[in-house]
Amino acid sequence: MADTTASAGAGSSGMRSGSKQSTNPADNYHLARRRTLQVVVSSLLTEAGFESAEKASVETLTEMLQSYISEIGRSAKSYCEHTARTQPTLSDIVVTLVEMGFNVDTLPAYAKRSQRMVITAPPVTNQPVTPKALTAGQNRPHPPHIPSHFPEFPDPHTYIKTPTYREPVSDYQVLREKAASQRRDVERALTRFMAKTGETQSLFKDDVSTFPLIAARPFTIPYLTALLPSELEMQQMEETDSSEQEEQTDTENLPLHISTAHTETRS
Amino acid sequence: MPPTGLEPARMNRKKGDKGFESPRPYKLTHQVVCINNINFQRKSVVGFVELTIFPTVANLNRIKLNSKQCRIYRVRINDLEAAFIYNDPTLEVCHNESKQRNLNYFSNAYAAAVSAVDPDAGNGELCIKVPSELWKHVDELKVLKIHINFSLDQPKGGLHFVVPSVEGSMAERGAHVFSCGYQNSTRFWFPCVDSYSELCTWKLEFTVDAAMVAVSNGDLVETVYTHDMRKKTFHYMLTIPTSASNIALAIGPFEILVDPYMHEVTHFCLPQLLPLLKHTTSYLHEVFEFYEEILTCRYPYSCFKTVFIDEAYVEVAAYASMSIFSTNLLHSAMIIDETPLTRRCLAQSLAQQFFGCFISRMSWSDEWVLKGISGYIYGLWMKKTFGVNEYRHWIKEELDKIVAYELKTGGVLLHPIFGGGKEKDNPASHLYFSIKHPHTLSWEYYTMFQCKAHLVMRLIENRISMEFMLQVFNKLLSLASTASSQKFQSHMWSQMLVSTFGFLKSISNVSGKDIQPLIKQWVDQSGVVKFYGSFAFNRKRNVLELEIKQDYTSPGTQKYVGPLKVTVQELDGSFNHTLQIEENSLKHDIPCHSKSRRNKKKKIPLMNGEEVDMDLSAMDADSPLLWIRIDPDMSVLRKVGFEQADFMWQYQLRYERDVVAQQESILALEKFPTPASRLALTDILEQEQCFYRVRMSACFCLAKIANSMVSTWTGPPAMKSLFTRMFCCKTCPNIVKTNNFMSFQSYFLQKTMPVAMALLRDVHNLCPKEVLTFILDLIKYNDNRKNKFSDNYYRAEMIDALANSVTPAVSVNNEVRTLDNLNPDVRLILEEITRFLNMEKLLPSYRHTITVSCLRAIRVLQKNGHVPSDPTLFKSYAEYGHFVDIRIAALEAVVDYTKVDRSYEELQWLLNMIQNDPVPYVRHKILHMLTKNPPFTKNMESPLCNEALVDQLWKLMNSGTSHDWRLRCGAVDLYFTLFGLSRPSCLPLPELGLVLNLKEKKAVLNPTIIPEAITGNQETAINPSGHAQLVGFQNPEGDHLAKEASCNISAHQQGVKRKSDTPLGSPLEPGQILEKNEDSSKVKLKIRFSSSQEEEEVDMDTVHDSQAFIFHHLNMLERPSTPGIHLGVFNLEGKEQSPLEMSMHPVATAPLSVFSKESTSSKHSDHHHHHHHEHKKKKKKHKHKHKHKHKHESKEKDKEPFTYSSPASGRSIRSPSLSD
Repeated sequence: MADTTASAGAGSSGMRSGSKQSTNPADNYHLARRRTLQVVVSSLLTEAGFESAEKASVETLTEMLQSYISEIGRSAKSYCEHTARTQPTLSDIVVTLVEMGFNVDTLPAYAKRSQRMVITAPPVTNQPVTPKALTAGQNRPHPPHIPSHFPEFPDPHTYIKTPTYREPVSDYQVLREKAASQRRDVERALTRFMAKTGETQSLFKDDVSTFPLIAARPFTIPYLTALLPSELEMQQMEETDSSEQEEQTDTENLPLHISTAHTETRS
Repeated sequence: MPPTGLEPARMNRKKGDKGFESPRPYKLTHQVVCINNINFQRKSVVGFVELTIFPTVANLNRIKLNSKQCRIYRVRINDLEAAFIYNDPTLEVCHNESKQRNLNYFSNAYAAAVSAVDPDAGNGELCIKVPSELWKHVDELKVLKIHINFSLDQPKGGLHFVVPSVEGSMAERGAHVFSCGYQNSTRFWFPCVDSYSELCTWKLEFTVDAAMVAVSNGDLVETVYTHDMRKKTFHYMLTIPTSASNIALAIGPFEILVDPYMHEVTHFCLPQLLPLLKHTTSYLHEVFEFYEEILTCRYPYSCFKTVFIDEAYVEVAAYASMSIFSTNLLHSAMIIDETPLTRRCLAQSLAQQFFGCFISRMSWSDEWVLKGISGYIYGLWMKKTFGVNEYRHWIKEELDKIVAYELKTGGVLLHPIFGGGKEKDNPASHLYFSIKHPHTLSWEYYTMFQCKAHLVMRLIENRISMEFMLQVFNKLLSLASTASSQKFQSHMWSQMLVSTFGFLKSISNVSGKDIQPLIKQWVDQSGVVKFYGSFAFNRKRNVLELEIKQDYTSPGTQKYVGPLKVTVQELDGSFNHTLQIEENSLKHDIPCHSKSRRNKKKKIPLMNGEEVDMDLSAMDADSPLLWIRIDPDMSVLRKVGFEQADFMWQYQLRYERDVVAQQESILALEKFPTPASRLALTDILEQEQCFYRVRMSACFCLAKIANSMVSTWTGPPAMKSLFTRMFCCKTCPNIVKTNNFMSFQSYFLQKTMPVAMALLRDVHNLCPKEVLTFILDLIKYNDNRKNKFSDNYYRAEMIDALANSVTPAVSVNNEVRTLDNLNPDVRLILEEITRFLNMEKLLPSYRHTITVSCLRAIRVLQKNGHVPSDPTLFKSYAEYGHFVDIRIAALEAVVDYTKVDRSYEELQWLLNMIQNDPVPYVRHKILHMLTKNPPFTKNMESPLCNEALVDQLWKLMNSGTSHDWRLRCGAVDLYFTLFGLSRPSCLPLPELGLVLNLKEKKAVLNPTIIPEAITGNQETAINPSGHAQLVGFQNPEGDHLAKEASCNISAHQQGVKRKSDTPLGSPLEPGQILEKNEDSSKVKLKIRFSSSQEEEEVDMDTVHDSQAFIFHHLNMLERPSTPGIHLGVFNLEGKEQSPLEMSMHPVATAPLSVFSKESTSSKHSDHHHHHHHEHKKKKKKHKHKHKHKHKHESKEKDKEPFTYSSPASGRSIRSPSLSD
């Protein structure tokens, strides 16, 4: 049963995009999987001692099995995404099964039972093909460790990179403008947020929202904040120290005079 | 021994100067200060002192020491219990219930009170009686050891506790304590002889929490843990004789840094600030080297400590071998602006180590020598460190300051001479405070005093050359260091004291020059010189006719006679002329060297030898004169008003190389708004060789000129294109370059230009839109990411610029200011201010410079009517717990609001803060700001001016500020600004119409009622004794009115033309007083007794009484007085015995409060009452008589000592025999 999970999960996700027409290669693909499930249900019934079953009951059991497997897939995917992975691992599946009330410990024994029947791999069916018009770039082939019956990689632009062909902005004025307005926007947003979430003071009695001032709060040790450079400044200091005032984008650096006295005077 | 300046002084007593003669009948040799317990939670201190003294007279029977605030438990002399009296007349200067409210009266009373405890006059608050068992011992002049146990509880002055209210132990909280005060204030924290002239060696012990460090004077000998290992005792030894006033203490969880360059120097700072401390003090060794080199003398102490503490009293305080600094002087390497300021503070304190700490002063009138020398050598350091330009600029600045102050207030006297026989005119009669004591001086006066002192030193240098000057200093120092290593008995220690006479003698010995005229002019006399100069060129004679007038009649001026240098720049070169300024010669003819023809295109030689090309087209074709300067070297303390043509000023600005001349021409050009002036200023602005401060002031001048020329101005707003060229990107001129402050000159200019530009106004008197946009862009594009330095000062100045651009709102029908009718420009400004102020909360800038500027800007917006005027915001920023700069800025706004909106509520709020704020500096500063920007002045009608306010302020200076001399003097300043010298006009008329003068046996209408119109009345109702008792003693207030009268009546005797409240001394015969008072004192005693019962609860430092104190002096401790006899006399005299007897049994261990309570009730008989008045008012004219009488009186007392006993004095005596 465990070895069908992956294909069932893929099948269930494929179902959503499937249409009613049976001529569609995608539907054929799904039907093939469905048939495999029916074989599984039938063999399980045989194993349980049934000699025959009505078609309707087989259909119902198939539906239940498919839902169950889909649920395992969906849930495992959630668990794996929760831990910031894209590929479900065994532990995701185990957690899922436990969550669904399944006694995982019994599973290995069940898989090794003597009377089990081996089902042949599903017949090779045509993969669902995306319409030509939407493809961009060449789809990658499966690497060798992925069985060929797994779905194809999606279009490369969806997960590799999207080359665009616009000229990058390098104009000094625009850059400065951008940097300035970005910083200003950030500052304004941040201070407004702080003002909204905390106590404020206002210069206008009737209006407290247009120019909200974050309320003045006394410090227990006021000289510390006043004298110590902030972490940002410290960081900046280190940076500038290491780069020692690299040449600026637009300036010819002024000659550096540090001494203050230049004019001669009579003494 | 080398010839000294002090030895000959003794022979030269005729001149009024003398070598050191101690005012005390004993000499102190050693003092131990031991503080066993410091409780930060309760802010209390417990300890003892032990003074080792040698009597110098045989019949020494009482020893006067200084002590304020301290609670004294026990005094022992050579292990014998000794009786003592503790009385401090400065606690309450005038009587509590007195209705007297004129400042003249107060100032005299205050000066008398300070005199009464002045250690330099041999007085003190604590008077200890030598036990009779020791008299024989004393007569043999043998050593006495005085052991005093004392404690301090919540000291209000002298020691300042900083205890942040956070979690954790005191050390974790950064709690610390340090000594502070103005001049000699050590008496606030331990009993001592609080005089700069009483030197002794010291042993200092402080037991503190093991996590704390105690820093004090001298060498740290050892630190010993207590048994429980929870506390440590720091033992300091100071073997160089030092005055108590130079002893200091700082205790806190300090981080310690041993100076990497000088291992004997240690720095201390509060937790977390070590990196800043490292950077800040990294420069100190250079200052050391400089001073040691110029003085050719090693630093006198074996070690030096700097301590940086919070809530400092002053930024810099120098004590023997240690200096206490404000922690706010610490800075990191990113801060530009604070660096020179901090270095100046360090250098200043170090200069004072040599002159002020090591060498001390003989008396208050010699203070100027020490302040002068330390200020002078500090100036030399400035010259070396910051260059000649900065130095000359600083001298000019200081000169301008002192000139402005003297002209405003009427003069600063460096060397006041007191007590010399007949002293016709009070040397400080123009002032509302006495200059006889440092503690009565207005703080501003004292600042100016120091400023004048160093300027005068510079004048002396000009006269005798720097080389000689330094030789003199070296001589003083080497004499002192020889003396310091001597044992006490050699009587050499007085060589460590400097006096005016000794200093001058030393100068004359070293230089052989007579500087007496200079000293007479600037030291013995107050005032500055005011010159007005103008000239005409006589073409025929080729002569410059210079006219120099003087104004020596206005207050603060004096006449100058002597040489005056004038420099004339002609076409052929620069020429110095020395004119002789004499009584009646105004005109001076100066021959010119050049012919006015100038067809030859020759270069023009300047004073410094440089030859320059000039465009001479602007000149007057007939005259060879380019410019003229009067007293270019600033060798007179003067103000010069000189008239010359605009083109001459422009030449002076462009080509004169002296920064002072440039500065002067900039100032003069303000009056010539012409395109030529504009060009000259612009050129200077652009010239990188030019001194940056000159360029900065050119900015402001240019703004003023542009405003005057507004209708004819062409081109972009002044300075805009200049700024663009210097600081903006080449490709996009509206964007400023990313910050790079490596060139400090450019940095200062970049900061200043926008501030000046914002002062530009268009024809509608509005700031041009273009300028505002420009400044907003500067703010918008400001980018400091690649800068090595912080841009917080720069951004702060941008906000200042925004504030400068604000003009008064045009309001229609006085509409209420709301957001809807907000001017769009103001909206933009407000947007920026809001953002800046809010960002400060998240990313605070160094010293919160930006918040400070924002608060100021908001006040400007309020004041101009754009934003509703409201002090709430400022009041929240003024609270304790904000950084001190923010608080001061906010308080300044509140002060301004109080004035503009005449708000009584805010004034009360401020006054409340003056009394209750935990930080002494803030209290001082509020008073100062209120004085500078008063809500009303004496000639103004104001709803704020009412009786309650007068009472409040009176109370503040009378008793509310007794713990802080500076604060009290600040309160006096404010009182003077608000009400003037006389009785405030808002007071109701006194209730009592008829008053009498007991001395004169006269009664008159109270002169405060009708100052002018009662000429005849003084003779009317005169029945001495009957009236006297009736009016004087019917109610408790009566005698105060009588007292008031006694000082007022003199005015009538002078002819009643004088204002009632400027009393002058009137003569009176000693006998008259004595006989008069016999009966009245008896009557009075009864009254006092009853009132003493009521006042039993008064706290020790509320009510004291100077008159009673003087009385003690006269009577109480004369041998063979014993308390027992007092008691008897009392029973005879005063009939009320019960309260007396109760308090006659002091318990041996009871703290002093018992006695202070008594002194609260201590009133005095009319006798000393009068005597006291005499002290205050008549001392000048009748000094001799007075003195004589003084003796006479005390003789009488000796014979019959208890005739005039007052209950207070009787009960104050404390004797072990009684307590048993």
